[in-house]
Amino acid sequence: MTALLAGSAYAGQYVEWRDDGSVLLKLGPDYDNAVIETSREELGALFGPDQKPFEGVNITVLTLDSGPKGGISGPIMALRPVWEELSGGKLDVALVPITDLYAKMMLDLRQGTGLYDAIVVAAFFYGDLIAGNYILPIDDYMASGDFPQWSYDSMPDSLRTLYTWKGVGYGTLNDADGQVLYYRRDLLNDPKWQAEFKQEVGYDMPVPPRTWQQLLDIARFFDGKNFDANDPDPDSGIVLHLKVGEQGLYHFQSLSAPFAITPGEKLDRYHRVYWFDPTDMTPLINSPGHVAALEFLQELAKTGPSAQISWSLGEAWDYFLRGKSVFVFSWGDVGSLCQDPSRSKIQGNCAASVLPGSDRYWDHEKQQWVETDDPRPVGNTTGGSWHGVISAFSENPEAAYSFLSLMAIKPVSIWNANNGWTGVDPGFTYQFLEPVGEAKLEDYVKAGWDPNDVQDYLKAYYENFNAETMLPYLRIEGTPEYWDIMDKNLSAAMSGEKTAKEALDDTAKVWEEITDRLGRERILKQYQEAIGFEG
Amino acid sequence: MIRRSRLSDAFWSLVALLVAMVFFFPLYWAISNSLRRPVETFTVTGLGMPFVDFTPTLDNWRLQLGTPEAYNALANSTVISFSAVAIALLLGVPAAYALARFRFFTVPNRDLTIWFLSQRVLPPVATAVPFFILFSSFDLLDTRLALTLVSATFVLPFVVVICRQTFYDLPVELEEAALVDGAGHVKAFLWVALPLAAPAIAAAALIMFAFAWNEYLFAVILTIKNAATLPVHIAGGVDTRGVQFWFVAVRSLIAMVPPVLLALIAQRYIVRGLTLGAVKG
Amino acid sequence: MIRWTGRIKFLFLLPAVLWVLSFTVFPLGYSLYLSLHEVERKVVITGREKVPVLKSDGTPVLKADGTPRTRTKVIRELQTSFTWNNFANYLRAFRDEEVREAVRVTVIFTVAAVGIEILLGLGLAWLFNRGLYARGFLRSVMILPIFATPVAVGYLFFTIFYELGGPLSWTGIPWLSDPDWALVSIILVDLWQWTPFCFLVFLAALQGIPDEMIETAQLDTNSQWEIWRYVILPILKPVIVIVLLLRFAEAVKLFDIIATLTKGGPGIATQSYSYLAFNRGFKMNDFGYASALAFLLLVAVMVIVTLFFRRLRTSYE
Repeated sequence: MTALLAGSAYAGQYVEWRDDGSVLLKLGPDYDNAVIETSREELGALFGPDQKPFEGVNITVLTLDSGPKGGISGPIMALRPVWEELSGGKLDVALVPITDLYAKMMLDLRQGTGLYDAIVVAAFFYGDLIAGNYILPIDDYMASGDFPQWSYDSMPDSLRTLYTWKGVGYGTLNDADGQVLYYRRDLLNDPKWQAEFKQEVGYDMPVPPRTWQQLLDIARFFDGKNFDANDPDPDSGIVLHLKVGEQGLYHFQSLSAPFAITPGEKLDRYHRVYWFDPTDMTPLINSPGHVAALEFLQELAKTGPSAQISWSLGEAWDYFLRGKSVFVFSWGDVGSLCQDPSRSKIQGNCAASVLPGSDRYWDHEKQQWVETDDPRPVGNTTGGSWHGVISAFSENPEAAYSFLSLMAIKPVSIWNANNGWTGVDPGFTYQFLEPVGEAKLEDYVKAGWDPNDVQDYLKAYYENFNAETMLPYLRIEGTPEYWDIMDKNLSAAMSGEKTAKEALDDTAKVWEEITDRLGRERILKQYQEAIGFEG
Repeated sequence: MIRRSRLSDAFWSLVALLVAMVFFFPLYWAISNSLRRPVETFTVTGLGMPFVDFTPTLDNWRLQLGTPEAYNALANSTVISFSAVAIALLLGVPAAYALARFRFFTVPNRDLTIWFLSQRVLPPVATAVPFFILFSSFDLLDTRLALTLVSATFVLPFVVVICRQTFYDLPVELEEAALVDGAGHVKAFLWVALPLAAPAIAAAALIMFAFAWNEYLFAVILTIKNAATLPVHIAGGVDTRGVQFWFVAVRSLIAMVPPVLLALIAQRYIVRGLTLGAVKG
Repeated sequence: MIRWTGRIKFLFLLPAVLWVLSFTVFPLGYSLYLSLHEVERKVVITGREKVPVLKSDGTPVLKADGTPRTRTKVIRELQTSFTWNNFANYLRAFRDEEVREAVRVTVIFTVAAVGIEILLGLGLAWLFNRGLYARGFLRSVMILPIFATPVAVGYLFFTIFYELGGPLSWTGIPWLSDPDWALVSIILVDLWQWTPFCFLVFLAALQGIPDEMIETAQLDTNSQWEIWRYVILPILKPVIVIVLLLRFAEAVKLFDIIATLTKGGPGIATQSYSYLAFNRGFKMNDFGYASALAFLLLVAVMVIVTLFFRRLRTSYE
């Protein structure tokens, strides 16, 4: 904190320019008087003491609504007064319930009303955004040096893919989503349980499990036992969020990846693909690998509460956070919620690891199962990875970019990761601990993290985003429609109305109809671009 | 009067009390939820009585009442709902009277009534987009006016359908007597029919108010931030981390206060309302 | 009943008709057009120009060297094309398996919910029409559900139907996780919210029946049932018809409870027609198809209502 000792050349209410070139961004009493330290250099050429380059400009950002101290919208509102003082402009934050964000965004873009200059989007919106040319590339802004400085280089390739299209940048760094495994450190490391497990199952309990098959054994072992002292009821092996129209689909994606993806040197027709055959858009979703994975998920679900078929993520997390299950696999929010005493009873016992691999996978080329002694985890970027893009209808794209890039600079990004309530999950190099990253353990501890929990957590995410094989992300026009029918069929399979095979065959059938209706050629080209297939 | 005894009165009062408790239970549960810490949302078993089953806290209320968004939404909802109901009454009551008392030849009265009703049948997904285009071309997005106009249009059928029946069942002789005395139709309507129908109108108004107050889809589509109403605010209790049941409970209870107060005031009218239809049998 | 004639009638009726027309002709026409056309949209760049950056008072912002700061303004245009689609959206609706299932769900829901609400409403009205202690207070409590915001009702009932320790968990019923029970749960929520509406209207109508009529009837019979059957119900008939119509028109649009309680699941076991149409439009940007679905519903409902009215002409007209 050397900057605090230096003299200040110009100090406003929210921004203090100091003689040594450092700049303090002060978030004010609503945000615990947090101070984020950056530098003149990092803020770019446009911003300077009393420069106000966007005086009189009014921009509107559309974001999902979690309130002023909630996920995604919170940091935007925290940085708003800072940007207003820097730019001289005015920032309106349009809040919309998360369930209606996509609808409201598309309504504006499709009608060309241009109500919003910047929009906080999920990565799966890209198919529609790119197909309609609705968002602006930002590479020129980044290169100009005029704006706050950040770089795609701090993203692992897996995330960079989500923020760009065919190598062109569109999204500004903000959130990184992916699912990892959370497990109870106290239970899995307890010698008593370990001994019992060995006796009952016949091998040493692997902590953390390296394959889904091992995880299922552990979940089965714990399911029905009363390991949670808070209530007299039996507890569960795992808890899943399977509600239709919510996040059940994402569970299947991340779980099925190591079963259904054929690893390979590079992405081609048979290797590293998951959704469609990249040469003709034939759905792969009902391949034996996918079907086996869904059958596996059905088995795994039996070690969880039966009510989970109607649970979305909040209820499933709550169950794990209350100590009622050994496992949950989900987003980064769980790691930070574990640390919140108003939500969690397991702070300090909330261990995490990258999702397990599978001891067999389907080979799409040879059309057969391959058994492997060296199961590798398949990384995933499942989820939204919520971040800002600029609307093609913005009257003031520079001003909009200057705000989004301010949100993207390293110190802001680290502040986001440190503070769990921001809903911004770690994924960028500097957010990880030294030596792979630049973050310091004490900063996380200061923000309320248990040191063991956060070390596991960051390691899990580092391994996930840097895995050798990644689950490719579906970013084509019509993604919501493809996902919708898949989601409904998965839910039918999980509630026992359909078998795994029926559910995925039905999905594939409707997918073919959707592709034909939207135009096979066009969708195929988008799909190839989105996953980087070069044929 | 139907024969009655104290004993059976007591028995049926008990039954009525039980029924009322069943209907009140969900709201009681919302109150109970709003007083719990988030981690207790699903762990409090039994009847969830504060102090008995858990230690209540006002934290959720404190956090929610502190936000300007809540007050803004409350003000918007109030202005929009009252204006919409006022417009609908102003237009709908005379229309209902006309349908009850006059004969329309080109389009039969019945079909006109059905036409008004049909305005409530079309799912809003079909009209939300064109309404968005309409109001954006008049630069009325995110204004209370836009929502007032839409709400008024969609609650209008209620007053027409309900009040048509009321006027229809009023003894026409009173109005005819007024007409004979030299009053015009307007005067007969204003001075004779309207006062007699007032209770029914009050009841219809209250129901329309509830609909306007609770309307969500158009509110979310036609607003950006200034004109957001309470239902939009309530839906904002769901975020990337799921439903925040504790905040949703607080917000929905806040949203119930104004219409419930209104209902209590209008009680007397409601119960007398809609009755005149049956007076003459 | 003799009806008056006279031009003054238009003064009463036309303002409402014109109001409704002026706000619905464009939306209806637009969505009808949309349902019959294939729409393509794309933003294209039509030009670029350098424009000076202006302050709020209109004066240009100057750079450090005194020259005005400029920015490149890219001119973009949204191009939209409509092509006639030969009723493709309507034909698709008849082949769509999800539509078939949604119709089933909606019919079951509507018949069960509206039917029970009316019967329950009548029963409660009878109960509250007799002498009761604290009647005013209990009646006030009874109508509270009408004012609960539907968006919140679903979330509220989620906590009530919570299957592991919620207030109804003692029944052991899988309220939301079983496809059949989930539909029952949806119906229960609707009963909670809308029975009070039926109750209120019926109670009001009952209280309007003059005591003398009942007393006269009591001279002929001692049976409460016969008094209801031959005296009270005929009087209530027009009111019942109105309540039935209003509830029917709302029930076929069932949306909010689904959206916040089950999302149409498990699978598509509780996906109502209106919820399906909504998602086709807003979740998948297929407003043409959504509008086609909406119009099909409108036509179906109006046919039913008209037939219904024709049968009831004697009592209604």
